[in-house]
Amino acid sequence: MPESETICGTATLDAARGGWQAVGMIPEPSMSDPRLTELSGCLPGLRLLTASADLEHYGRDWTRRWTPAPLAVALPASTEEVLAIMRWANERRVAIVPSGGRTGLSGGAVAANGELVLSLERMNRVLGFDAVDRTLSVQPGVILQHVHEAAHGHGLVYPVDFAARGSCSIGGNIATNAGGIRVIRYGNTREWIAGLKVVTGHGELLELNRGLIKNSSGYDFRQLMVGSEGTLGIVVEATLRLTDPPPPSQVMLLALPDMDALMQVFALFRTRLPLQAFEFFTDHALRHVLAHGAQRAIAGDHPYYVVTEFDAADERQQEAALAAFEQALERGWVSDGVIAQSEAQAAALWRLREGITESLAPWRPYKNDVSVRISAVPAFLHEMQALLAREYPRAEVVWFGHIGDGNLHINVLRPDGLAEDAFIAQCEHVTALLAATLQRHGGSISAEHGIGLVKRAYLDSTRSAAEIALMRGVRKVFDPNGILNPGKLFADG
Amino acid sequence: MKILVGYKRVVDYNVRIQVKPDGTGVVTDGVKLSANPFDDIALEEALRLREKGVAEEVVVVGIGPADLTAHLRNGLAMGANRAIHVVAADAVQPLTAARVFLKLVEKEQPGLVILGKQAIDDDANQTGQMLAALWDRPQATFASKVDIAGGKATVTREVDAGLEVIEAELPAVITTDLRLNEPRFIKLPDIMKAKSKPIDTIEFGSLGVEAHDHLKTTHYAAPAKRSKGVMVKDAAELVAALKQKGLL
Ligand SMILES: Cc1cc2nc3c(=O)[nH]c(=O)nc-3n(C[C@H](O)[C@H](O)[C@H](O)COP(=O)(O)OP(=O)(O)OC[C@H]3O[C@@H](n4cnc5c(N)ncnc54)[C@H](O)[C@@H]3O)c2cc1C
Ligand SMILES: Cc1cc2nc3c(=O)[nH]c(=O)nc-3n(C[C@H](O)[C@H](O)[C@H](O)COP(=O)(O)OP(=O)(O)OC[C@H]3O[C@@H](n4cnc5c(N)ncnc54)[C@H](O)[C@@H]3O)c2cc1C
Repeated sequence: MPESETICGTATLDAARGGWQAVGMIPEPSMSDPRLTELSGCLPGLRLLTASADLEHYGRDWTRRWTPAPLAVALPASTEEVLAIMRWANERRVAIVPSGGRTGLSGGAVAANGELVLSLERMNRVLGFDAVDRTLSVQPGVILQHVHEAAHGHGLVYPVDFAARGSCSIGGNIATNAGGIRVIRYGNTREWIAGLKVVTGHGELLELNRGLIKNSSGYDFRQLMVGSEGTLGIVVEATLRLTDPPPPSQVMLLALPDMDALMQVFALFRTRLPLQAFEFFTDHALRHVLAHGAQRAIAGDHPYYVVTEFDAADERQQEAALAAFEQALERGWVSDGVIAQSEAQAAALWRLREGITESLAPWRPYKNDVSVRISAVPAFLHEMQALLAREYPRAEVVWFGHIGDGNLHINVLRPDGLAEDAFIAQCEHVTALLAATLQRHGGSISAEHGIGLVKRAYLDSTRSAAEIALMRGVRKVFDPNGILNPGKLFADG
Repeated sequence: MKILVGYKRVVDYNVRIQVKPDGTGVVTDGVKLSANPFDDIALEEALRLREKGVAEEVVVVGIGPADLTAHLRNGLAMGANRAIHVVAADAVQPLTAARVFLKLVEKEQPGLVILGKQAIDDDANQTGQMLAALWDRPQATFASKVDIAGGKATVTREVDAGLEVIEAELPAVITTDLRLNEPRFIKLPDIMKAKSKPIDTIEFGSLGVEAHDHLKTTHYAAPAKRSKGVMVKDAAELVAALKQKGLL
């Protein structure tokens, strides 16, 4: 097959050559599509799925707004297969959607336009641990929780953590620069990436930074890849930094009488205690997690709650924590609180915060994921609360989030009797207003979930026109044919 | 009625146990220590009985080194009226613990002693039974439901065949099983209040109990690693492999 040999065998691309096919005008997907025949012709071992159940399963993430309609699903087992797929895709101008655990909340992994889903699910091996470098090398499809377990097995930790740990992949975490519940202590995914192997949109394999701690040799493409939402390259391997386990900790749940208390308690606790996490949620969120089976920990009605975890290695630190609580109580910033006495109770308290997203999922809420500087949180919260109350007179609005990082998740539940389209239209209108509010406070429309499809219309509230123009330019450099994730991040390619 | 509750401190249930390299014990340094889960359940049950008006006083008892005080304060914060700390530098074995409890029973005259069915450190499952024998009072072990009325405890027990309901004349010893209740969280304001609750300290040596160590631990070792599984192609190969191992 000379034809397929050219396609799979060319490392460089002649963009003018080859049968061009417009993305989005794909006929009914089936294995009989000539492009797929060609792909499996040059990669006979490649696992390709085209059954409609597979297309639906792999064509969407946690957002449920788009109807999945990929061309097919490819499950490569090696970097070589990824490279070959990318060559074919460039040749045939088939759009590629990189796909991890599809727990994404911004539509980044949605394939609704005849794209080929390139799932990294089978590239799920831990490749090696280096005790001297304290790094773990993994394939992109390794599930976050498996990274945790592998690190633990070597007496170390990979500290990025959040509720989707059991299903999200390290590749997806890198592509979204995932944050989570330990950012306050450990930062985002970005801080923990020592090296990456990436196949660019153009089909080149890059080995970025090779695990070096110091490397002052020009542009750092590794960091550019982190948070690029699968629009520049496909992560095919990552070298992760690990660190020492934190000291023994304690977990508290606090009940707060009003919103102003939130940042006051945070400021107090942050100066008094070595915090590992400081998360908040409202009574609305609590109602949903309790209905979903979580155990009530504090009696009575309180509008706001905080889950906080801090080092408590010895009695002195435990005393300091109690003293901080006592002071908050005296000042009227907390109205009640409990402290976990065992790991099981700690898990039960965490579930009240971590179970929220899952407990809301049946409502398919409209989600905002916004951030401002910590110093701007109080002023922003007031404006935001007034805005939400005014603009959503009927919808239930559930908010919670990583307040210690200035990050809030707003989930809007569709009121009974309001049609889905009208509801989305209303939410988009409010999001535009929210974006304007954020802009005034110097915040971001996407704190940690990514822009994807969901927030691309508001990108210009966070990034200047000059920045966006440069972002498009960067994309052109890495993916001149616009193969990777078209329509994500920017509406037009 | 007064209820005596055993409240032992152990390595937390969720901690992955590591054996010390020299085999003399398990690593406890820097490891989370918590109340034995069955003792938490015992205390919760006692508190519920007090809240129902069945009991007036709940006393938690701990046997252990001087730094056990912080642990006992947790029991007080959870709601016990007072605590007794029997100061013993070394861990005591079940029979010794039962004898200590007997001394305290003689002194305190409780209507009920609630202990965990076992402690998750050595999993002995003996102290409650031994205490009942020494005290010559009824025992109701592995309780998953407790009702107290008319000087009698009606206890549902978790036994191999399912559930068994028995009656025990008070005073008696009850040991708790996992499903008896879900222990409450400790309220932070109660931790502050617990600071002023009394802890009686009794030196182990002053009780007149001989620490007979009937059991001798020679060394500790981690369980052998499970050997890797073997993949077989088909049923025929599986049968052949089982036959080869003499299992078929
Ligand atoms: C219950 C729940 C809780 C969550 N909590 C948090 C949280 O606290 N913090 C947080 O940041 N996020 C959170 N998320 C969002 C989500 O889990 C993260 O964005 C996660 O990083 C996505 O990983 P994934 O493997 O599921 O990626 P996917 O959803 O599969 O993909 C996400 C994006 O990454 C791209 N991508 C995937 N793999 C690769 C690869 N190998 N190379 C290049 N691009 C790739 C995709 O194209 C897409 O654009 C939560 C989600 C859920 C469902
Ligand atoms: C005794 C000694 C010890 C040193 N030790 C170290 C060390 O331990 N670690 C280390 O990393 N380096 C070290 N250096 C090197 C040097 O000090 C660093 O590279 C330092 O960061 C350079 O700062 P500078 O202001 O002198 O930059 P310059 O020498 O003036 O410029 C360095 C580069 O930065 C560019 N540049 C300068 N200012 C700007 C600006 N505002 N915007 C954009 N580009 C700009 C210049 O064009 C040039 O490319 C050492 C140097 C000396 C003499």
